[in-house]
Amino acid sequence: MSVRRALDVTAAAVAFVLFWKLIVVVGNYPVFILPAPEVVAERFVSAWLDGTMEPNAAQTLLEVVLGFALGASAALVAGYALARSRLIERVLSPYLVAAQATPILALAPLLALWFGSGLLSKVVICALIVFFPVAVATMVGLRNVDRRLLEMARSFRATPWQLLWTLELPAAMPGIMGGMRVGVTLAVVGAIIGEWAGGEQGLGVLINLARGSLFDIPLLFATLLTVALLGVVLYLIVALVERRIVGPRG
Amino acid sequence: MSDLGPQRRPRPRGRSARAWFVLPAVIALLAAACASPASSTAPGSSSSAPASSAGPAGSLAPSSSAPSSSVAAAGASGTGVSGSVTHLTVGLGYIPSVQFAQFYLAQQAGYYRAAGLDVTFQNKIDPDLVVLVGQGNLDAGIADGTSVIPAVSQGIPIRYIATIYGTFPNIVFAKASSGITTAGDLKGKRIGTPCKCGSSWIMLQALLQSAHLTTSDVQIVEYPDYSQEAAVYRGAVDAATGYTNNEPLQLESQGQKVVVLHVDQTLPLPGPGLISSTQTIATKGAALRAFVAATLRAMRDIEANPQKGFDAALAVVPQLKSQQALQMSILKATIATWQSPYTQAHGLGAIDQAGWQQSVSFMSGLPEHLVPHPVTVSQLVDPSLLPSG
Repeated sequence: MSVRRALDVTAAAVAFVLFWKLIVVVGNYPVFILPAPEVVAERFVSAWLDGTMEPNAAQTLLEVVLGFALGASAALVAGYALARSRLIERVLSPYLVAAQATPILALAPLLALWFGSGLLSKVVICALIVFFPVAVATMVGLRNVDRRLLEMARSFRATPWQLLWTLELPAAMPGIMGGMRVGVTLAVVGAIIGEWAGGEQGLGVLINLARGSLFDIPLLFATLLTVALLGVVLYLIVALVERRIVGPRG
Repeated sequence: MSDLGPQRRPRPRGRSARAWFVLPAVIALLAAACASPASSTAPGSSSSAPASSAGPAGSLAPSSSAPSSSVAAAGASGTGVSGSVTHLTVGLGYIPSVQFAQFYLAQQAGYYRAAGLDVTFQNKIDPDLVVLVGQGNLDAGIADGTSVIPAVSQGIPIRYIATIYGTFPNIVFAKASSGITTAGDLKGKRIGTPCKCGSSWIMLQALLQSAHLTTSDVQIVEYPDYSQEAAVYRGAVDAATGYTNNEPLQLESQGQKVVVLHVDQTLPLPGPGLISSTQTIATKGAALRAFVAATLRAMRDIEANPQKGFDAALAVVPQLKSQQALQMSILKATIATWQSPYTQAHGLGAIDQAGWQQSVSFMSGLPEHLVPHPVTVSQLVDPSLLPSG
């Protein structure tokens, strides 16, 4: 990252914190309405040091990683099938769109009922929320492969596997990785929703506890900050993988 | 750092950097100017608790969003004072339900209007209600006493001004065939509960402590979808937490004999009651006093004639008619929780301050750190708004 970019990012962060602080000062908000950034920062540090945050963050991270792996894997297969078969697309597309249009928030309690309030239901929710963007990105990416290249490869009697591995996947990878970027941040949202619907541990559970039982609003904000950082870090990891595979964007 | 968006055209550096700081400042000033002013009361000087956690007893799907009924002049829905009428916005828990019959009756019978009040009800979930009352967006609300203690400890400026549930409504229930008759019998048993949080979790810990047990002596099974009643019915758990005016009645309606364990005999935890903010008490104390008196009057009416309460609730929640017998039994069970030995001696709505002190001591020792900052009973309750106060 260039010095200029680092400066921009730092300036944006500083501006955000100043903006936040200014609202608190000008509005004269008490801690239970909007805690000041330094109060949240203090609670963030204390929650990590006293062991409040770590096990919950680890649980959410586990759910996100497993759910993303499951959802993205299934979406890659489904995206390939959708790209290759008009019949499959015609048959499955309405269900995929309908599933995407159904709020996961409404489905989460049902999934908790069917799969229990343990790890499995959270993984399923994450997988469901990840599936659609990755599947669509895969389908679109594969369909946009240059037909002339495909015809040329076929003229050299490339097998379907060779076509996929040496031509289609590399060509579709920028699109697929774009879907992965969206998917991994949605997976964090899915894990939190799953934990809201029931669970013993996780950042979503901690949000509920901080808000509903403890009335510890700085802890609520500190947990939200952790969730946001988790999303950003995962996004950057996917972006890094993308850069290694595809090269820099733009 | 990786790109987060498309490449942008380079801009003059100085202007860009200044914009990062100037623009947020302008937006912040506008936002703060537009935002509703927060209570300026010093944190820790008052308290409140949510009533929505009083459970889904008698709850039916609401016919609309939040019932908003006003007895006074049309258009009077704010929280200010106009002429001789004082507007009050009161938060009731969860969704419209037969358990709020006293508020509906006081409204429909004109008790509030006669007291110079224009009352609007809003239904809120528990944590929202506590914060909204503390913030002053609601003038009063019904909230769990066990939520008031952590809320005040965290600096939310609310006070508990009248007891509605003199008997703590959260209970442990089991089928009579389970053999459970005392708290000690829970040892080693599977106990269903929605979550390890809230008033039910506090009650369970108090109940277990009365038998020298802790939650590690039982097997906790969570039912976040509140399906613990069904779990007891089908034997998936031996007992479960619930509400005295809900799950036991539902089980009995299915022909089951039910055992109910109350915590009150060992620890008089404060049940749901009316809360208000210290600022609202200071500015609208007379109106709140009138509101409490009118509500208590309706409670006495319903105690004398439950049908009056049911009819008032039916006017707000017409769906009650489809389960008339069950809903009436829920109302009767609710009425039974309004009184306790303390309220019978000191009057309906009276606040048992010694019980509050015991509850603060108990909750301060719980592993959840519910009381991070010390609180006194005088910071939690304000009995001065009761008719006898």
